[in-house]
Amino acid sequence: MMIWRIIPFTHLSASENMAMDEAIFRVNQRKYSPPTLRIYSWCPPSISLGYFQKTFNEVDVSACSRYHIDIVRRPTGGKAVLHENDLTYAVIAKEHNPLFTPDILGTYKIISGCIADALSELGIHAEMSVDGRTSGDDSLKAVCFSSPSHYELLVNKRKICGSAQIRSRGVFLQHGSILLDFDPVRTCALLVPRDGDRERQIERLRESVTSVYEHTGAEISMVKICHVLQRSFEKKLGIELVEGGLTAEEEALMTRLIKDKYSNNKWNMESKGTLNGY
Amino acid sequence: MKVFPDDLLYNREHAWIRVESELATIGITDYAQENLGEILAIELPEVDSYVERDEPFGTIESAKGVFELMSPVSGEVINVNEDILDDIGIINSDPHDTGWMIVVEMKDLEELDDLLDSREYHDFVIKEAEGN
Repeated sequence: MMIWRIIPFTHLSASENMAMDEAIFRVNQRKYSPPTLRIYSWCPPSISLGYFQKTFNEVDVSACSRYHIDIVRRPTGGKAVLHENDLTYAVIAKEHNPLFTPDILGTYKIISGCIADALSELGIHAEMSVDGRTSGDDSLKAVCFSSPSHYELLVNKRKICGSAQIRSRGVFLQHGSILLDFDPVRTCALLVPRDGDRERQIERLRESVTSVYEHTGAEISMVKICHVLQRSFEKKLGIELVEGGLTAEEEALMTRLIKDKYSNNKWNMESKGTLNGY
Repeated sequence: MKVFPDDLLYNREHAWIRVESELATIGITDYAQENLGEILAIELPEVDSYVERDEPFGTIESAKGVFELMSPVSGEVINVNEDILDDIGIINSDPHDTGWMIVVEMKDLEELDDLLDSREYHDFVIKEAEGN
């Protein structure tokens, strides 16, 4: 049975979360590392932006400051996500891991299958979307949960889990966000409305996004959901998840990445500083 | 049907290179663009910056994710294709010609010895597609 590492559940800041994921991803590119799963939340609450998004075009920076919401740009693609009532996962593995298919979309499908099984354990029947993200998306395209991408998870056609990847040197990092609770008014208050019409944006999000608690009718502890997710990954992939921390090399790189990249306004606000040889 | 032009060299990260004297024009292969799907955004280095062999020279986002572009050679960037910044669809429609990305003045011509010719690259992608 293949052994994967699972990093124990943490509530970290936006810069710490992104730096940890990238450190694991970068070290894996240069040497053998076991495939790794992280499940985590964000403290303080944060908005993460896709790699190519421009912060001031997407996020109401003043509102975020007022509400003490951190802003970070992810290494992965996709759209803006508010991490306030969600669980985020990261999977880092070699592209040619035998559990995954050589094609990129196959990886999304397999990982989404693990999440769907976990949601099913919680009594939620989620289906995978088949449409991909394109340049022709509608006026709400800034918001991740408003536009399902490949093999993202929907409940009654409303998105409950979005995901995005980066690939480099034969390794992928897949991020995903499972919404536990969703407040479209709060979300829209923190983002720049696409066409200046915030009310319409709220209504569209209400129609296109759902959450775990909406279907369970009650809050479930993050610890319990983590356990369900872990079991689902183990069963679906036929792996054993063994708890482990970062290696010394990963720790050192994470520290550098926090300082140089994810706490740095050049990266988060100005979309600069990417080709840095990590 | 994928195209593997004979006049190009390739690295294993699906970048091609066209060599004229000490200048190397670099882009991504037809195989790469087909696998990435519709390309939505690209980030390229600035003129006068320096790229290293097997290090990222740019980043691309497609409908499937973000991908770092690995340089086949080291050298100074002397030109960047502004046309693809204006019309990114060129990378999908004409990856080996008008979809070129950067021109580099090579530092070490011996780096070319490690690259693949079209037949070797063709065999490489077949193996990769089979998951080997």
